[in-house]
Amino acid sequence: MISLDKDGPQSARRKRRVLLTGFFPASVLVIYGILFAVMPDKASMALRSSGHVFLNIIVPLFLVFILMLILNLFLKPAHTVKFIGKGVGIKGIILTVTAGIISIGPIFAWYPLLKELQEKGVGNPLIAIFLGNRAVKPFLLPIMIAYFGWIYVLILTVFTILGSLGVGYSVGALVKEKTSLSFHV
Amino acid sequence: MRIAISAEDRDLEARVGDRFGLSQYLLIVDSETMAFEAVPNPGASDQRGTGIQTVVLVISKNVNTVLTGYISQTAKRHLSTNGIEVLTGLYGTVAEVLEKYKKGDLQKHMGVVRKPESRGVKIDKVALVHALRSSANQFANLLPILVSVVLLIGIFNAFVSKELIYSIFSGNTALDSIWGACLGSILAGNPINSYIIGGELLEYGVSLFAITSLIIAWVTVGLVQLPAEIVALGRSFALVRNAVSFILSIAIAIITVVVLNLIKG
Repeated sequence: MISLDKDGPQSARRKRRVLLTGFFPASVLVIYGILFAVMPDKASMALRSSGHVFLNIIVPLFLVFILMLILNLFLKPAHTVKFIGKGVGIKGIILTVTAGIISIGPIFAWYPLLKELQEKGVGNPLIAIFLGNRAVKPFLLPIMIAYFGWIYVLILTVFTILGSLGVGYSVGALVKEKTSLSFHV
Repeated sequence: MRIAISAEDRDLEARVGDRFGLSQYLLIVDSETMAFEAVPNPGASDQRGTGIQTVVLVISKNVNTVLTGYISQTAKRHLSTNGIEVLTGLYGTVAEVLEKYKKGDLQKHMGVVRKPESRGVKIDKVALVHALRSSANQFANLLPILVSVVLLIGIFNAFVSKELIYSIFSGNTALDSIWGACLGSILAGNPINSYIIGGELLEYGVSLFAITSLIIAWVTVGLVQLPAEIVALGRSFALVRNAVSFILSIAIAIITVVVLNLIKG
């Protein structure tokens, strides 16, 4: 995924992110430490319960890794970039939906690219549709199916995609475009 | 074949730009017809020289090769990842450099061996190693938070009673969906965590309406990322998109569960 964040201020942002990412696990470990000191029985119970959850997700997690590998092998970031905002009408929408679904990485890493596309004239509706479809995560499907079943996942996926079109339409109707080069949707 | 060359001016007699991210123009040349397009380099005004805008531009122009004086390792890596060949250390006029490239002098000089274009699905070792490394990195980034969430769920299971859960998620479809959407809007991170939290809440008897709106809002609504979205895409875009996504997460949750119940009978 495209995020050239090794230079300048982005480096500081990355450090802050790492700190924030480390803060949560560290806090959980501290809580467990305190619990084992104060209520060892409850702490053991909590740990056993976590173990059960891990057992439930270990196979789906392995499948997640395999799917990640396949996506990384066959989908280059350029494919995603090229999809957003290409084509007009239905074709443009389908390509943008596809880009949202196959996009990976945290959302904040996508903002610079989306800003770039917006300035180049890609319409707000398509950007909103792209962001909406990031809710569909093909490589996380094994975990979702393990918990909720494939019928639920299928229905949710269909309505999430339809919902993203609703968001795109609403944004198009309510937000004034920054540029007059809106040649999409 | 399409070649992007950093240039100081907008014609083939211009000098090759010293720096890929900062040169005034990019000439996109078709090596067979020599037809070219001069594109102002969007990174030229970016004094940080990160080259992100130039990288995006080159990728969007379906370029096969980049010829330039100097390029940062980060930009080079991103171009290479996208299958774009990068040759650096070049000087002279664009026409001279192009001529050398077409003769194969540059490639010989730099030890570049052009790979035959593969047709069909063929996985080469380098791509596989790169994909493995990327996947391992993504997985490693995901794991600390995921493990912490699971450990927190353990504490939740040990301490929180069903009565407390039911006092929040009462079984009222609309209210439960709103609570789920609120929770999903506040929490952030990889959506895998929302599936695990949702799955565990389901075992507690929390309605699927609430869990579904939580899962959708987790990704589509982001209060934590809202300031960044406002800066990047504009205040009205960010506010409207998040507000509409919040409302729709509730609507989609209700429709999804109703349809699921209809199908399951």
